[in-house]
Amino acid sequence: MKKYNKIFGVLVVFLMVSGISALIVSPAVAADPVKVAVLTDMSGPYAGITAKNVDAARMAIEDFGGKLLGQNIEFVYRDHQCKPDVANQKAKELYEKEKVDVIIDCPNSAAGLAVSNQARIHKKLFFPIGSGTTRLNGSDCHRYTFHWGYNDYMLATAAGLWAADNLGKRWYTITADYAWGHSLLKNFKNALKSRGGTLLGNDMVALGTSDFSPYILKAMNANPDVLVLLNAGKDGVNSTKQANEFGLKKKVKIIHALFFIEGIKAVGPDVFADDYGAAPWYWKSQNPGAQKFVAQWQKKFNKPPNWMNAATYSAVTQYLEAVKRAGIKDAKPVIEKLEGHTFRDIFANPGYIRPDNHMKVADANIIRAKRKEEIKEPWDFFEFVGSVSAKDAYEPVGKTGCNMGGF
Amino acid sequence: MSAQFIGMQLFNGLILGSVYVLLSLGLSIIFGMLGIINFAHGAFYMLGAYAAYTITSYIFPNFWIAFIFGPIFMGAFGAACEVFFFRRLYKLPPLYVMLFTFGLMMAFQDIIRMIFGSMGVPFNTPESLMGAVNLGFMYYPKYRLFLIIVTALCSLGVWLFLSKTRLGALIRAGTDNSQMVDALGINISRITTLVFGLGIGLAGLAGVLVAPIQNVTHLMGMDFLIDCFVVVVIGGMGSIAGSIIGGLIVGEIIAMGIMVWPPIANTLIYLFMAAFLLVRPRGLFGREAFHD
Amino acid sequence: MIDSAMSKKKIITLSSAVLLSLLFPYLTPYTALASEILVFALFAMSYDLVLGYAGMLSFGHAAFFGIGAYTTGIMLVRVYPSVMPALLAGVIVSSLAALFVGYLSIRRSGIYFTMVTLAFAQMFYFTAFKWTGLTGGDDGLQGVPRPSIGPLDLTSEITLYYFILFFVLLSITIGLRVVNSPFGKTLQALRENKDRTMSIGYDVDKFRLIVFIISGFFSGLAGGLYALLLNFVPLSSLYWTTSGEVVVMTIVGGMGTLFGPVLGALGIILLRDIISNFTESWNFIMGLIFMGCVLGFRGGIMSIIRDKLKLNV
Repeated sequence: MKKYNKIFGVLVVFLMVSGISALIVSPAVAADPVKVAVLTDMSGPYAGITAKNVDAARMAIEDFGGKLLGQNIEFVYRDHQCKPDVANQKAKELYEKEKVDVIIDCPNSAAGLAVSNQARIHKKLFFPIGSGTTRLNGSDCHRYTFHWGYNDYMLATAAGLWAADNLGKRWYTITADYAWGHSLLKNFKNALKSRGGTLLGNDMVALGTSDFSPYILKAMNANPDVLVLLNAGKDGVNSTKQANEFGLKKKVKIIHALFFIEGIKAVGPDVFADDYGAAPWYWKSQNPGAQKFVAQWQKKFNKPPNWMNAATYSAVTQYLEAVKRAGIKDAKPVIEKLEGHTFRDIFANPGYIRPDNHMKVADANIIRAKRKEEIKEPWDFFEFVGSVSAKDAYEPVGKTGCNMGGF
Repeated sequence: MSAQFIGMQLFNGLILGSVYVLLSLGLSIIFGMLGIINFAHGAFYMLGAYAAYTITSYIFPNFWIAFIFGPIFMGAFGAACEVFFFRRLYKLPPLYVMLFTFGLMMAFQDIIRMIFGSMGVPFNTPESLMGAVNLGFMYYPKYRLFLIIVTALCSLGVWLFLSKTRLGALIRAGTDNSQMVDALGINISRITTLVFGLGIGLAGLAGVLVAPIQNVTHLMGMDFLIDCFVVVVIGGMGSIAGSIIGGLIVGEIIAMGIMVWPPIANTLIYLFMAAFLLVRPRGLFGREAFHD
Repeated sequence: MIDSAMSKKKIITLSSAVLLSLLFPYLTPYTALASEILVFALFAMSYDLVLGYAGMLSFGHAAFFGIGAYTTGIMLVRVYPSVMPALLAGVIVSSLAALFVGYLSIRRSGIYFTMVTLAFAQMFYFTAFKWTGLTGGDDGLQGVPRPSIGPLDLTSEITLYYFILFFVLLSITIGLRVVNSPFGKTLQALRENKDRTMSIGYDVDKFRLIVFIISGFFSGLAGGLYALLLNFVPLSSLYWTTSGEVVVMTIVGGMGTLFGPVLGALGIILLRDIISNFTESWNFIMGLIFMGCVLGFRGGIMSIIRDKLKLNV
């Protein structure tokens, strides 16, 4: 009999320990202060790009003064490991247990959509940055989610329009064969069509394909002006490395869907040299306060911030400003203050929060990756080559598929 | 679809197949000799690529130095792992060994992430192998031809070593019955260390070879790992010839799948494996000894 | 024959376990985590039937978990928003999938059985990945609702926890019945000595197939509950890493014990959640823990409880 008390005791102790450790992780808080959370990838594949969003949010709170509505602003963060199921669980923890008012970031589209759904269920705010799916401000939009960084429509349309005007009208595309790639392709095609260009061919490539040479070869045979690579991460690097290997760049310009300074740093400037892409932001930006932010960041981390860091800083700042204007942290009044708001900050000059689909819009930048010999300063991997107005770069009102609904 | 494209794609299948061959050779001899299903094999492959990166960017900026010393270093590292870790595992049921190697894989990947970050590291094609060669019917990148040749030579070397030398004969005997070799008064533990080192060295070589044409990241082994299990199973567990032929078959299946209908390219090797095993339960050259 | 003293002890252990499970959500960092632990405990338990009791190393159990989750999710999102029919559909479809996979793979043994199950699971994964119209593809199946069942408001996390707990306890009870039945004993005899059991006249393949389907049934139930818990179905629920995870949970917990895998799921999920809040290197720590498990205590958590505390659960 005693034995069983013992095992019971052991189990209870085990659970108590876990419970207590949980308490240490998340100390109980008083009801009132504004609480901001960053939920991002800190140990998964995007960690190198997104982990420092935590510091960006902290910096934004500090620069804001650290206090709001008479109380200190509180801050927590969680690592979602780039897994949508973990993101979903952590979002619940943050909204329910930690009682946060807003979750910022969340790379990975599936994770972004899942957290957005939790935001709707819990009636709390969510500012996706790293996830670009247009569903967040299209079919899956709602009052509580504000899409802050970019979306896939913008990436494709801005780069597409600019390339058709400046690089040539005969294109070939290589597309990652899943929802993200398909959505980019559709928008690139539309951009090209609106400028009267021709698509010479497209290849759908299975995700995780390690060998792109057959597609590169087909693209070279088609002899286009522009090759559009609609893939990201590992696939983006592999396809570009192999395009170089076959000497494609001697005749053809390459456009990428998405660029990061860390990505260039990782693979070296040779791989992406002279390629183009749209960018929400670059650290040489002349937006108000941007250079001060960059200097602060450089001092702290010995490298410039990437655009996601800047977007996080901006999202936190604009959220806090909205709470200040509303004078109360409840979701509804804060949302009403955000909708239709125009602002100027480090990330957007000017930025406008569209009330019809909660997309933060701003002019899009087009950047070119510098060749090795052009790089004079560490991390200065890009140059601005043009911009596309917010009006052209984002979906026209009424075409988004968003039905905003009530609170 | 032009004949040139088909020819090109056959060559590309050969490239992919070559990488599979190098990885599965190691996987297969380690399984055959030691009975270990090595989940960490992909991680060793990844470590090979990082070893090459470390050599070229911190020690001596020359691809050939990395090409020679990277695999040797990995072989020595593998042998050390055998002495310190794996030796303790031989008597355990395969399941625990699997869990152990799974844990080892996670630890290796995370150590590399901590040191080099999660974005990967740069690695360029060596100067002397840039550009393309005219094969008569098509132009093909020099580096890829080099890769095929190296793999062919390595496979040949391993095969000669195992079939023509005394040590090789011992290894083959040990694969079939390690107690028997032990009973003959031969120090089996030396041989197991050697086999392990050889297997890991081959994985390291694959990592070095692939670095210039693939993104070098801490997760690069994950994609190849499961594919290599497929190769080894199709070829027959523990068979050298099986690994070589299985690797080339799988490489070509993927390459052909891409040509015929890309959406199914991923699934094709699994379909093929399932169908193949239903018809031929032990793979191409699998032996009865490993059936259970 | 179980003597009455023995069964009395068992009852006490069981009832304290039940009591603990009732209090459990208040002891974990957050309620949804407790529910997640339950779901994976059920999944690991159902996997243990195949691995621990029948000795078959399936590396494709993500298929049944994922199919259960997707079927339940699709029923709720696209067909009819009612929980019970959706769960029922989930277990039926996953059992059928288990019948299909089992029928084709059961005759293979050892590593070849493992690989055939993996191959089928990967096919299901790629099918779900491609069939975006039905499954949502890479974005996962989003927006799975939790409609109320009569007065049961499942949108509350704590209610959902007890709802899941009900199914888990029910499943464990059935699972215990199965392994202690003549059928279960035959399975274990099969695991220990296949040839002898065959020579007595048992149809080995039939036994293996039946336990495979039972396991698929409970995995599908776990999957369906997972869809409810997350309000969506992640594509990764079909991926081979999910299969790997359940194998690890079962081994770490102690296979062939049914309760072991439950503790394995508890330990791994809780630890991962807590460690990942402290450090980005949680993968490294988890890896070391797995290696330590193999070198240190091979019978899993259950063997520690048994040996160190001299208990027999």
